[in-house]
Amino acid sequence: MKRLLTGLTMALTSLTVAGAASAADSYPERPIGVAVSYGAGGATDFQARIVTMVAGNEDLLGQPIYIINKPGAGGRVGWNWLATQADNDGYTMGAYNVPHFIAQSIKGGVKYSTDSFEPIANWGSDPAVFVVGKDSEFNSMEDVVAFAKENPGKLTLSGAGLFVGHHIAALQIEKACDCKMAYIPTKGGGAAAMKAVIAGDVKAGINNLSDAFRAREAGNVKILGVADLERNEEFLSDVPTMMEAGLDVDNSSVNFRGLMVPKGTDPAIIETLAAKVPAMFENARVAKRMKAGGSPMKIMTRDEVLKMWAERQETLEELLKGL
Amino acid sequence: MTSTRIQHTIPALVVLAIAVVVAWLSFTQEPVEAFLFPRIISVFFVGLALWNAYRALAGLARVGGGISSTVALNVLPGLVVALVFVFLAATKLGFYVSGALTFLTIYTIYDPVPLSSLNGWVRRIVTTLVFMGVMYALFALLLQVQTPRGMFF
Amino acid sequence: MEFLGYFGGVFEPVAFMLLLGGTVGGLILGATPGLSPTMAVALLIPFTFQLSPTHGLILLGAAYTSTVAGGAVSAILLKIPGAPANIATALDGHEMAKQGEGARALHLSFLASGIGGVIGVMLLIFLTPVLAEWALAFGPSHLFWMAILGVTLIGSLDSKSFVKGLLSGCIGLWLATIGYDDNYGVPRFIFSDALTGGIHIIPALIGLFAIPQVMEMFAKGRNASAIEQVTVTKHKLSSSFREIAKSGRALSIGTVIGSIIGLIPGVGGQIAGLVAYDQTRKFSPHKAKFGTGHPEGVIAAESANNAMVGPSLVPLLTLSIPGSPTAAVLLGGLLIHGIFPGGDLFERHPEVIWTFINSMLLGQILMVVFGIWIAASAARIARAPMPIMAAAVLILAVFGSYSVQQSMGDVYIMLILGMTMYALEKFGFSAAPLVLGLILGDIAEDNFILGSRIADATDGSMIYFFGGTFNLVLVALVLGSVLYSFISNRAINDALPTNTKAEK
Repeated sequence: MKRLLTGLTMALTSLTVAGAASAADSYPERPIGVAVSYGAGGATDFQARIVTMVAGNEDLLGQPIYIINKPGAGGRVGWNWLATQADNDGYTMGAYNVPHFIAQSIKGGVKYSTDSFEPIANWGSDPAVFVVGKDSEFNSMEDVVAFAKENPGKLTLSGAGLFVGHHIAALQIEKACDCKMAYIPTKGGGAAAMKAVIAGDVKAGINNLSDAFRAREAGNVKILGVADLERNEEFLSDVPTMMEAGLDVDNSSVNFRGLMVPKGTDPAIIETLAAKVPAMFENARVAKRMKAGGSPMKIMTRDEVLKMWAERQETLEELLKGL
Repeated sequence: MTSTRIQHTIPALVVLAIAVVVAWLSFTQEPVEAFLFPRIISVFFVGLALWNAYRALAGLARVGGGISSTVALNVLPGLVVALVFVFLAATKLGFYVSGALTFLTIYTIYDPVPLSSLNGWVRRIVTTLVFMGVMYALFALLLQVQTPRGMFF
Repeated sequence: MEFLGYFGGVFEPVAFMLLLGGTVGGLILGATPGLSPTMAVALLIPFTFQLSPTHGLILLGAAYTSTVAGGAVSAILLKIPGAPANIATALDGHEMAKQGEGARALHLSFLASGIGGVIGVMLLIFLTPVLAEWALAFGPSHLFWMAILGVTLIGSLDSKSFVKGLLSGCIGLWLATIGYDDNYGVPRFIFSDALTGGIHIIPALIGLFAIPQVMEMFAKGRNASAIEQVTVTKHKLSSSFREIAKSGRALSIGTVIGSIIGLIPGVGGQIAGLVAYDQTRKFSPHKAKFGTGHPEGVIAAESANNAMVGPSLVPLLTLSIPGSPTAAVLLGGLLIHGIFPGGDLFERHPEVIWTFINSMLLGQILMVVFGIWIAASAARIARAPMPIMAAAVLILAVFGSYSVQQSMGDVYIMLILGMTMYALEKFGFSAAPLVLGLILGDIAEDNFILGSRIADATDGSMIYFFGGTFNLVLVALVLGSVLYSFISNRAINDALPTNTKAEK
């Protein structure tokens, strides 16, 4: 609620200030950078490059957007940089990954929280899925739970890092089945975690729906469950949700991706971006490329994102309390 | 003690001091798991630094001629320009303007042609403009790579 | 031989123009300091949005091959390695350029790149299914031992002093731990905001190699007589061919090592050049000449880093797992065109994938032709007066380190590392082992922690790290390498006259 109010006040002040702010009138005058907290070629980087590719169109921002990769420590390096070092003049945006950055800020040791950033719009949602190798003995979530109950702490489970969506999903599954697994974070994002599953280094893994879908198409893995409220009809209509499999896991681990700016950016600029960026995401060419790459889209406006951030903050605080 | 021996002893002791600080930090910082690897490294680091310091003190270190005062005096002005360029000018003036000034200053400092020669100045300024012009055309216009920004560009 | 059937596609006018453009553009991008192959390919991806999948991949394939070789140009002429792959090239290549042999160094570098590269792509064409299994066989414990094996090379790499070589390596290993720890998210040794992201390899490379070079030029002062005018010798192409033909040892060591290392996911091509350089030196009868402008060093390093290009794509094309950062970017390039890599890629999209591979093959050849064509004029850079050279390298170094992640912090790190390295070099330390430590530190630590975590949940560390033939073979190699270093070190010490004061 508090954040909603802040958003509202901001919107109001922007109306009054807009006339005076000449910098905001002509914005943007030069290309805009987007800091991605993961390496080139990762899912976030790849999607950020697609959704921003039409920014230069005259009816959209009229200036191109370029990507800056600032990878490290599961995203902490990039978001720390955006919160403390980036200019808040509207020419540096960042890509957010929820729940990653919220969970990390709750665990502490970083210089950012939801209050350090102003969301612009959301472009995608990528649920976490449970994968096993193609020759695995497990054929359903029930098999997995049965094994984990019999062998506490022996079920090795790869994921893309600590306190990222995959880890949250693993924690929720553990809580729901009341069993203990060995979550093994890999460096190098989802690709490294997937490699560990395919190569048999680990027994199972949690990964992005988009990457897992591709790996299944290639015949390398089986997908046993989706950590979301509904099945994904577009890509994986045959895979049950965790709820269907009898595990009380909601959509807290779904990886939302979108754009944000550092706190202190001119409200008028935030308004301009919040109005134009969703239109950029809706562009037909963007949608076509995203679909071709197997990346589910979910476009949300600034107000919707503010609400989503606040909800996630609450559920994650609850989930991570005991750790 | 010969001068080479003293020259070799100073860096050896500096490296040893760094190694000790690294080891101390590795063994005192929390959490332990995150500092396990630094601990392993720092043990080797300190050991090797001790061995190296012993060789320097005993006069066994022979490789490398050290830095003579002439060399130091020659390097100093260029180094100062480089430091000013990187830590001050690049973000105040912008990359291309500060780069041009740096280029011209370094060229002027180290150019054997006397400062009184008009031809020398023409050549230096033209070279600077051509070099920075090519950089600008290639990086800013063609590739659209971002460079440090300041007052200018 | 299926790939032969798709050669026609590459020779269509548009496709061939793209191939040519990709090769030439890739060479220029690769030669630009700070633009590693990964970044260069990422920069080109937006251009492929407008193209058909086949055309887009021709551009990317040609660019990938030629950026790797392009890095050799700046490594040889300016001593700024374009990417970690070109470090070893700089060691001897730049010495050759300083002696006026730049054209010869460039000829050899491009010919060796071409030969290594074509063999690498041939491996990709003929042995992909076999190699895919081999790539998966490397688990965390094996990668850990591989990294340790690399660490054991440190003592013998480009250093006149054994203890200082090892110490340089240790400094590099320590530098690798700076920044937010990737596994626990804990800050380590962060003394300044510029260090929160750790020390990025590209700015470090530029600083450690280019800045001491610049200061060396400053050291000559503004004295007309001290400014030596190098005579750049014209080099006949035919004699380069003859020299390459005689360098079977360096070529084969480079190609074999490059192909094997390129295949291992995660290790990638970063160390292929350095390992090949080191091994070639060990087997060479002219050990002492390495580091003073010995052509064998350039040939080994360049054949290795281009041989790795083909095999590094095997895990990507068969398993959809990118084995290197560049492969990850290429994966993005495939995905936006709706092409999903995987085991049956060759059946589902044969025209796309074979054209892609063919373009890499032809790209290698075009790259050699174009590279040799520019070699003679490029080598004349060595004749530029010292002040111009120093100023230009300094500005390119700043540009290069900044453009990696648009961060002034990286530029500060670059300059400070470079200045420190200059002083250290004056006392017998060297940059190559330090860089190797910096690269291997991450690989060793990550796989050690990953392996320990798996081991804790399964059989325990002893069984996990020492069980199985593969682990034992690697451990034996590590021990053998350590033993070799000690023995050869003793031999060098005995041979060294006691009163040498190697004035550098």
